[in-house]
Amino acid sequence: MSFSRSLSRKWQAKLLPIASVLVIAILLLVPLLFKLNGKPHADWQQFLGRFHVLAVHLPIALILLVPLLEIAGRYRPALREAAVLVLLFSIVACMGTFTLGYLLAYGSGTAGAGVTHHMWGGLWLTIGVLLCYLIRPSWESGRVPYAYPALLTCVLLVMVWTAHEGGSLTHGRNYLTEYAPAPLKKWPGLGRVEAKDALVPNSFYAEHIDPIFDANCVACHDAAKTKGDLRLDAFNLLMEGGQEGAVIVPGHPERSILFQRITLPHGDKKAMPAEDKPPLKPEEITWIKAWIAQGASPSVPSLAGIVAPKAYREIALPQVGDYSGMLAQISQIDASQGVKLVPVSRKLGDGLILNTVNVAATFNDAQLAQFEKFAPYIVEVYLGRTKVSDKCFDTLKTFTHLRSLNLEETAVTGQGVGKLAGLSQLTYLNLSGTKVTQANLAPALAMRNLHHLYFYNTPAQAAATAQAASAPSPRQVPTRSSR
Amino acid sequence: MKQHPLCTDPDHGPTILDLPIADGLKMEWAALQTRRHFLGKMGSVLGLAAMASLLGDKMLTGSAHAASTARIAPHPPEFAKAPNFAPKAKRAIYLFMSGGPPQLDLWDYKPNLAKLFNKDMPDSVRGTQQVTGMTAGQARFPIAPSHWAFKQYGQSGAWISDLMPYAARMVDDLAIIRSTNTDAINHEPAIMLMNTGNMNSGKPCLGSWLSYGLGSMNNNLPTFMVLLSKTNPNENNQPVSSRLWSSGFLSSEYAGVGLRSGGDPVLYLSDPKGVNRDVRRKMLDAVDEINHQTYKELGDPETNSHIAQYEMAYRMQISVPELTDMSDEPKSTWDLYGPDAKEPGTYAYNCLMARRMAERDVRFVQVYKRGWDVHANVTGTLPVLCRETDRGSYALITDLKQRGLLDDTLVVWAGEFGRTVYSQGGLTKDNYGRDHHPRCFTTWMSGGGVRRGIVFGETDDYSYNIVKDPVPVRDFNATILHCLGIDHNKLTYESQGLDQKLTGTTPAEVVTGLLAS
Repeated sequence: MSFSRSLSRKWQAKLLPIASVLVIAILLLVPLLFKLNGKPHADWQQFLGRFHVLAVHLPIALILLVPLLEIAGRYRPALREAAVLVLLFSIVACMGTFTLGYLLAYGSGTAGAGVTHHMWGGLWLTIGVLLCYLIRPSWESGRVPYAYPALLTCVLLVMVWTAHEGGSLTHGRNYLTEYAPAPLKKWPGLGRVEAKDALVPNSFYAEHIDPIFDANCVACHDAAKTKGDLRLDAFNLLMEGGQEGAVIVPGHPERSILFQRITLPHGDKKAMPAEDKPPLKPEEITWIKAWIAQGASPSVPSLAGIVAPKAYREIALPQVGDYSGMLAQISQIDASQGVKLVPVSRKLGDGLILNTVNVAATFNDAQLAQFEKFAPYIVEVYLGRTKVSDKCFDTLKTFTHLRSLNLEETAVTGQGVGKLAGLSQLTYLNLSGTKVTQANLAPALAMRNLHHLYFYNTPAQAAATAQAASAPSPRQVPTRSSR
Repeated sequence: MKQHPLCTDPDHGPTILDLPIADGLKMEWAALQTRRHFLGKMGSVLGLAAMASLLGDKMLTGSAHAASTARIAPHPPEFAKAPNFAPKAKRAIYLFMSGGPPQLDLWDYKPNLAKLFNKDMPDSVRGTQQVTGMTAGQARFPIAPSHWAFKQYGQSGAWISDLMPYAARMVDDLAIIRSTNTDAINHEPAIMLMNTGNMNSGKPCLGSWLSYGLGSMNNNLPTFMVLLSKTNPNENNQPVSSRLWSSGFLSSEYAGVGLRSGGDPVLYLSDPKGVNRDVRRKMLDAVDEINHQTYKELGDPETNSHIAQYEMAYRMQISVPELTDMSDEPKSTWDLYGPDAKEPGTYAYNCLMARRMAERDVRFVQVYKRGWDVHANVTGTLPVLCRETDRGSYALITDLKQRGLLDDTLVVWAGEFGRTVYSQGGLTKDNYGRDHHPRCFTTWMSGGGVRRGIVFGETDDYSYNIVKDPVPVRDFNATILHCLGIDHNKLTYESQGLDQKLTGTTPAEVVTGLLAS
C-alpha cells in the first residue's frame, strides 16, 4: 500500500513529465518520419485505419466531458476527481485515435490540404490534452490560476476545427452548408465552395477529356477525397494542379505531371489510375496527349489529327402524363377490336403506340376518332394500309405528344397535313405509297422538327424527281432522312 | 377440400399449375406428369378411341362452340411484353451467311499482305492456337493475299472489295464491325453460338427470345420467320436446320416458322380439295375443344402452344398467300432487287420477302444463305457468292430506307466465323483456300439504333487477331437486343435452375460505340 502510494507520488513528480515529453516527441516525429505523400502502403494499415472513423467519436465525447465536469465540480467537488480520470482517458483515446487516423492516411496514400490539416489538428489536440493533464494539479492547488482553463479552451477550439476538417474529408467541403438558407450562405466563409467552371458545350474537353477523368480519376480526386491535393472534377481545378504544382503544362504533354503519371507502366507505384484500377485506354491517352499538346483549351471543339466519335448518350424521351387509370380500358381494346394500344416501354411515361396492323383492312377515320380520349398519351401511330383518309388529320392533331406517324399505302392525299403543324414533337411522318401531291406536302416540309419525312412512290415523289431531272437542285433525292 | 399443392388430380383442388412459380418449373413438372398419366390413363384413352370410332365424324362436326384462341392460360398483361426501355428498332432482319465469309476478301483490307504472298505467317501471330484438323497437318501456313482490289467508298471512307459493287454504294448506311469474334472454330458450335448464345443445342435462338420478350405485332403472321435461300450445288453448303430457329426451353410457339424456298411456302397450309374454310373452322374448333380438355387433364403448356399454332396456321391460310403474292410490287422494286428476285427462293427474293414482312410488322426475320465455306477455290466460288448476295442486301437496305422503314428496323449481316489469312491447300498465283478462323470476322449492322457510316474495331496486319474494340458474340447479341429495347440481363427464363439468357453467364456488354444516340 505504502509502496504504491510512494510510487504514485514519485510518478507524479518525475516520471510523468519525462514520459510526457517522450510521447510528445514521438508524436511530432511521426509526420516527419512517415510522410503523407500520397503513396499508398500496406493493406493492414488501411484495415486498422478505417476504424479511425469509428473510434474518433470517443475522444470527442471524453474531451467535451472535461469542462462540464470541471464546472459541475464547483458545486459537487467529487466530480472534479472524475474530471481527472476523464482527462486521463482522453489522452489514451486521443493517442489511439491519432494512430488509427495516421494508419488510414498513410496506408491508403491519402494526401492533400484537408488531410494535412486534420492530421496536425489531431496531433496538437493530443498534445494539448496531455498538457492539460500535466498542468491541472498546479491549477487545482491554486498555484497557477488561469493556465489550465485557458489551455482547455484552446483544446476545445482545436477539437472543433479538427473534427470539422475530418468531417469535410468524408462528407465533402460543403456538406454542412449545402442546404443552408440562402441568406445564411451569403455570410463570408459559409457555403463557399471552390467555384467549378461549367463545361463549354461541344468542346473537345467536355466531350472527350472530362468524361475520361470522370470515369477514371474523380473517385480519388474530387472535393470529397483530394488525394495529392489534386482535383480533376472541373477544368479550373485541374489547371490549378496539386501538391506537386501544376499537372498540366499546355503545349507540353511530356512535361505535364498528369500525362507522365498516366503513361507510367502498369505496376509502377506512381502510375495512375493508382492501385488496381485499370489503366486508361490507349486512345484516351492519345486524346489527352493531343489535347495538352494543342494548348489544353477548355473550349476548342476539335483537335488536329484526332478523330474522336461523339460518345453515345441515351437521350431521354419527352414524357407523357399519367394514364395508369386507363390501363383497364387499354387492355380491353386489343381483345375487343384487334387494335393494339401498347406501351412503348415498361416506363409508363414513354407513352403508347397505336397499331392497326391486325385490322388494317377495315380500320377507318371514325374508328380512329374513338382514340381521341387517349390522345395525350399516344406517341406513335401506325395506320399503314388502313382505310383512313385525309380526315384522319383532324383526329391526329389532338395527339399532342405524337412523335411518329405512319400512313403508308393509304388513300391520304396530304390535304390538311398542315393541321399537324402544332405537334412539336412529331419527327417522323411516313406517307410512302399514298396519293400525296407535291402541293399538299408543302406544309409538312415546313415543319421544323419533322426530320424524317418519307413520300416514296407518291405523286409528290414523281414530281420532285421530274423537277430534279430538269433542273438539278440540292433536294434531288425523293426522300430525306435528316435536315 | 384442401389439397396438397403437389396433388396431380385437376378435379380435386389446386395443382402445381396454379402456384405462382416459374413457368419453367411447371413445364418440367408437366413433362413428368405426362409420362405418369400415359400409363395411368391408357385404359380410358383406348375406350375413348373406341367410342370416337363409333360416333364417327359427328363427334367432330357436332361441336357448335365458337372458336377462339388459347383461353386457359391467361396471356401476361401487355406491359409484361413491353421492352425494358424505349427501343430504336421495332423489328429486325438478320441476314445469316452460313459457312463463314472470308473477311479478307470482302471487308477487311490488308494492303501489306500483297508483298507477303506465299511467305510463312509468323508463328507469333498464331501463338498457341490450335487450328482445325483440315489445316493442322499442313507443313506451312503460306499467306494468301486477297485476289481482289479494294477501294474506299462513301463519306466514311470504308474499304470495300471489288467483289461487292453494291455494298460499296451503301457503306454510309452501315456500321461495319471488323472485330467480331467467336469461341468456336467449327460450323456447328459456331453457328449455334451466334444464334443461341451457346455452342450446345437446346437453347432458344435470338428470334425466339425476341418473340418471347416482345410478343407479336401482327396476329396473322408468326412473330419470327425464317427464309432459307436456295443452295447452289457448286458451293460448299454446310447444313442448317430447324435447331437454329428452335425455341429451346421456351414454349414452342416462339420457334421460328420457316418458309420453303420452292413450291408451297408453307407445306400443307392450303386446304385440300373439297375442304372449304367453314369445314376447316369447324374441324379446328373441335380439335381446340379436345386440346383444352387435354390441357386441363395434363397441364402441359405445350398443349397451349399447339392450340395457338393451329389458330396461327388457320390465319396464315389467308395472310401467307397475300404476303407471298408479289404481283403488287412496282417495276422500281424489280429494278432495285434485280432479275434474281423474280425467282422464288433466291437470296434476292428472300430479301424482298423480308422487306414485305417488315412492312407487315413481323418482329424478326432471318434469311439464311449457305455456301460461304470456301476451303478451296476462293477465286472460283467467291464471285458467285457475291453475285448471289451483294445486290439483294443492298436492295433491302435501300428499299427499307426509301420507304422510311430503316429508321425502326435493324438489319444484321453476319456469318458464324471468319477465314484464315493463310491458304488451306495449295496456294497459286490465281487460287487459294481459306480455313475457319474464329479470332476475328467482319459483320455489319444497319438501321434502327445503329450508327451509320462507321467502321468499328481493328484487326492486326494479318486480319488474325483483334487489336482494337473486340466484339465477342455475347456483346454482339446484347447490342442487338439493346436496339430492340431489351436489357439482355433482364430477358431471362428459368430453366434447369438457372435464369437463362441469350448472352449466357459470362458478363456481356452492349457495344455503345455502335449505337446512335
